Amino acid sequence: MAGHEDSGASKKKTADSSNDLPTFNAENLQNNMKIIYYSRTFLSIIGGVIAGILGYTGLTGFVFYFLIMAITSLGLAAKAKFSIHSYFDCWNRLLLDGFLGGLLSYVLFWTFAYDIVHIF
Amino acid sequence: MAEDLVLDTAIRDWVLIPLSVVMVLIGILRYFVSKLMRSYQLPDAKVVKEGQVVIRARNLRAAANFIPLKSFRARRTYFSNEENGLLHVPKGQAQNAQAQMFSDPNMAMDMMKKNLSMIIPQTLTFAWVNFFFSGFVAAKIPFPLTQRFRSMLQNGIDLSTVDVSYVSSRSWYFLNLFGLRGLFSLILGEENATDDTQRMMQMSGFGFDPTRSLSAEKDSLDIVQHEWALPKFEQRAEAVLRRLVR
Repeated sequence: MAGHEDSGASKKKTADSSNDLPTFNAENLQNNMKIIYYSRTFLSIIGGVIAGILGYTGLTGFVFYFLIMAITSLGLAAKAKFSIHSYFDCWNRLLLDGFLGGLLSYVLFWTFAYDIVHIF
Repeated sequence: MAEDLVLDTAIRDWVLIPLSVVMVLIGILRYFVSKLMRSYQLPDAKVVKEGQVVIRARNLRAAANFIPLKSFRARRTYFSNEENGLLHVPKGQAQNAQAQMFSDPNMAMDMMKKNLSMIIPQTLTFAWVNFFFSGFVAAKIPFPLTQRFRSMLQNGIDLSTVDVSYVSSRSWYFLNLFGLRGLFSLILGEENATDDTQRMMQMSGFGFDPTRSLSAEKDSLDIVQHEWALPKFEQRAEAVLRRLVR
């Protein structure tokens, strides 16, 4: 009982006034997830075009895709000022959500740019 | 076998780009057509009531820790009481709703319309691609694949010594089909597919969903353990007010 009270009090101290740690504003959370999705999709398209222009083939291209996704995660974390818990409920959402969703768009634009530039 | 085929520039201009452009335009067209053709049925009053009861129960479950134990218990009994609780549905009614859903003509028409609006453009475009753009190498995919994909990707090309990376336009069509979904979600606001799934959820709400979700809600409400999450709230309120006064 004492342990529960202590943990309850410390959680409230680290949370800011807009949302307590145990509760999340569902609409804001959904909005943030949408933003992550849009950012990843957009960057996977741009990354595909870049990979095609630079002429990456095979494994290098896929490594580049994961690099782009890592940069996206880093950028989003920096935008959230690294205080993930006041914007999302856990780290995994920021890092792994939509990771593979952009892969197909990436491959499409990679193929497109590669063909236009190199096999013209 | 040639390592690096040199492909005609005209293929780029007249195959790859028009195909992509056409697919993007068809996607946009389909989005607008589905928006125009969407018919709103007036929902049944009983169904709406049941849906709202489910939402209330869900809110109670989500916020259970912010109300005192006694009030939580009182609300829970109101919902799951055996005689007149809102969530308690007698067994006989459960089967009726399911039968009703399948025989509802409106719903069948809607589902057919939705399926058609997805399938027809795809079929037409595929037939167009097959008719006009078959029999030659269209693109080179930048990563190597095994020999087993040859029959899938190169079906217009009858030379078996050509590298599997050189694909026919059919595979370019499929690549576009999957890859442009991301692009559509960016330019059309919300993705096409989610509109359809929302409609499907709306439609399934008329049928067996209420009765099944009612008992599911009742069960999950019974499971909830109440933990009072605001033990020191008076102290916290006092601290905030002191800070304001200072």
